[in-house]
Amino acid sequence: MRSRSSASNSEAGGAPRLSSLRAGARGVIRGVVPDANGRVERLAALGVTAGASIEVLQTFPGVVFRCDETELAIEPAVARAILVDES
Amino acid sequence: MACPQARFSSPSVSPVVRLRPHPLRVALVGNPNVGKSVLFERLTGRYATVSNYPGTTVAVTRGRALVGAEVCEIIDTPGVTTLDGHLSEDEEVTRRVLARGEAELVVHVADARSLRRTLLLSAQLAAFELPTILVLNMADEARAHGIVIDRDALEEELGIPVVETVAVDGRGMGDLRAALASGAILKKVAGQVNGDAVVWARRVAERCRRRSGVRVARWQERFATLARNPWSGVPILLVTLYVMYLFVGVFGAQFLVGLLEETAFGAYLNPWAAAAVERSVPFAFVQDLLTGPYGLISMGLTYAIAIVLPVVATFFLIFGLLEDSGYIPRVAIFSDRMFRAMGLNGKAVLPMVLGLGCDTMATMTTRILHTRKERLIAILLLALGIPCSAQLATIMGILGGISFAALVTLFGVVMAQMFLVGFLAARIVPGERSEFILELPPIRRPRLANVATKTLLRVRWYLGEAVPLFLIGTFFLFVMDRVGALAWVTAAAEPLVTGLLGLPAATAGVFIMGFLRRDYGAAGLFVLAQNHELSGVQAVVALTVMTLFVPCVAHFLMIVKEQGLKTGLAIVGVVTPIAIFTGALLNHAFKVFGIEF
Repeated sequence: MRSRSSASNSEAGGAPRLSSLRAGARGVIRGVVPDANGRVERLAALGVTAGASIEVLQTFPGVVFRCDETELAIEPAVARAILVDES
Repeated sequence: MACPQARFSSPSVSPVVRLRPHPLRVALVGNPNVGKSVLFERLTGRYATVSNYPGTTVAVTRGRALVGAEVCEIIDTPGVTTLDGHLSEDEEVTRRVLARGEAELVVHVADARSLRRTLLLSAQLAAFELPTILVLNMADEARAHGIVIDRDALEEELGIPVVETVAVDGRGMGDLRAALASGAILKKVAGQVNGDAVVWARRVAERCRRRSGVRVARWQERFATLARNPWSGVPILLVTLYVMYLFVGVFGAQFLVGLLEETAFGAYLNPWAAAAVERSVPFAFVQDLLTGPYGLISMGLTYAIAIVLPVVATFFLIFGLLEDSGYIPRVAIFSDRMFRAMGLNGKAVLPMVLGLGCDTMATMTTRILHTRKERLIAILLLALGIPCSAQLATIMGILGGISFAALVTLFGVVMAQMFLVGFLAARIVPGERSEFILELPPIRRPRLANVATKTLLRVRWYLGEAVPLFLIGTFFLFVMDRVGALAWVTAAAEPLVTGLLGLPAATAGVFIMGFLRRDYGAAGLFVLAQNHELSGVQAVVALTVMTLFVPCVAHFLMIVKEQGLKTGLAIVGVVTPIAIFTGALLNHAFKVFGIEF
């Protein structure tokens, strides 16, 4: 599990994941790790695309963050797939 | 303000009267929860259910509107986050409207706050090559968030008319009606986008949107924070449930039912009807049919109006308030983990909570779930364990009068059963669950007018749907009683009912009523309990079986419509044995441990 996530981490240039950010942290989306079920497209349709700025509102029990004016709740697996540059 | 017609109508088309074989068909399309249904009501005068969460509209609603001298057909569509790639079933409904030429003009309705997301959808809409108008709705909320949109710049970028509205107040509707005659095709967009819609949307949003930087944390935002934070959110959830119980279970099911059933029907209407029938109809048969033990008035109408209606009405009222506040989706944050164990995700809380209103409507709402597996499991769980408002009514009426512990036992057993079945279904049903990604609508103060309209419509719908079935059911029982079939069935079911479940023999008749509508059966139990024919333990067992039992006829037909006859029968085949087995188990457990209520 750990080795797999670090492997894709290095592919993405080591950008931290949304899951590693604390509540209150802000950042800019760098990208989304794709899966077979259209995760990238679903998030993109909600405005979560490369370059969008976000603010983490809460991390437990699920991750809640604001992207532009949209507030989104996601499960931890999705948060691990979102690459963010913390600012 | 400049008149948009002048800029956008093509010279060959008169904006006022055009000759067509049919009215101009206008589709309202946009992201979920941007106010399409409010706009629909404003344009057509027809009410489409309005709530403050995504997924309220899952099917198309049509209505007529007069624009200038022309009649338009307005089509309200389910909200879409995307029209491209993997679509949920409600999004597919909208895509079909656009792709099959069912609409000749698109009114793209958007939340004025989320311009970038809106533009991402504009880029996809451009592919359908339909004349389009962009409506930036909820412009007041955008301004409150310090967002100002340069409408002229946006019109220039898109090449279509852009109108700002606050649909709930009717502001901007004049501009929209004027613009309806003048939609233009998103040609400029299609040209600009072909490279990268994401980059294009960001550039245009940055050009056309200014932020004043002043962001006032209003009470709504403070409440939103409290509602999603586990430390305050869980207590808020418990208090919400308790208030619902007080309003529906105590005020509705005890006070109002008492007033209607004992006083209005028991002391006045039924004796008066019995006397009137006796006086005017000389035949004992007809007298019995109307006011006998299985009489249409003394049983059918009394059950529907006196026992079930007060609870349905109080439930829909408080439920409407909750819906419009935007609170319900926040519960999904807490329930996501539990639903994941059942092969679903937190989003499933929406159909489940809706099921507490009406399982039939909720079964249709499962369309917002993303995979076939999720829809099937959600429909199964709705059929198995979610009591609808009418049934909740009678449950609270009976058990509320016995003890709070009895109520907790019933809900505990039903929830445990749902979890178990969901857990197994997650492993047996083929397919995958989708990831939990849910947009949280802003917390809003519910508009009382909307809540009132919605409640009235739902109550009227209940009366139209349930009363005829209650009467048919009563007639059916009456006939069975007359020809001796009721005694026969009661005798045949006795080993099951009195032996296995430990219930009085009369309950068999009640379960037959339950086949028609669960709430009708539950109302029968209510009367048994009232006549002290049921002990506390028997009431809990009987209601547990009834709650887990087959759904009502309308619900069953909806399952068949959504999933096919085979699946519908399979669900009934799974649910019925579970209900009886759980009841038997409960009965024996109560006996072994000597539990009384």
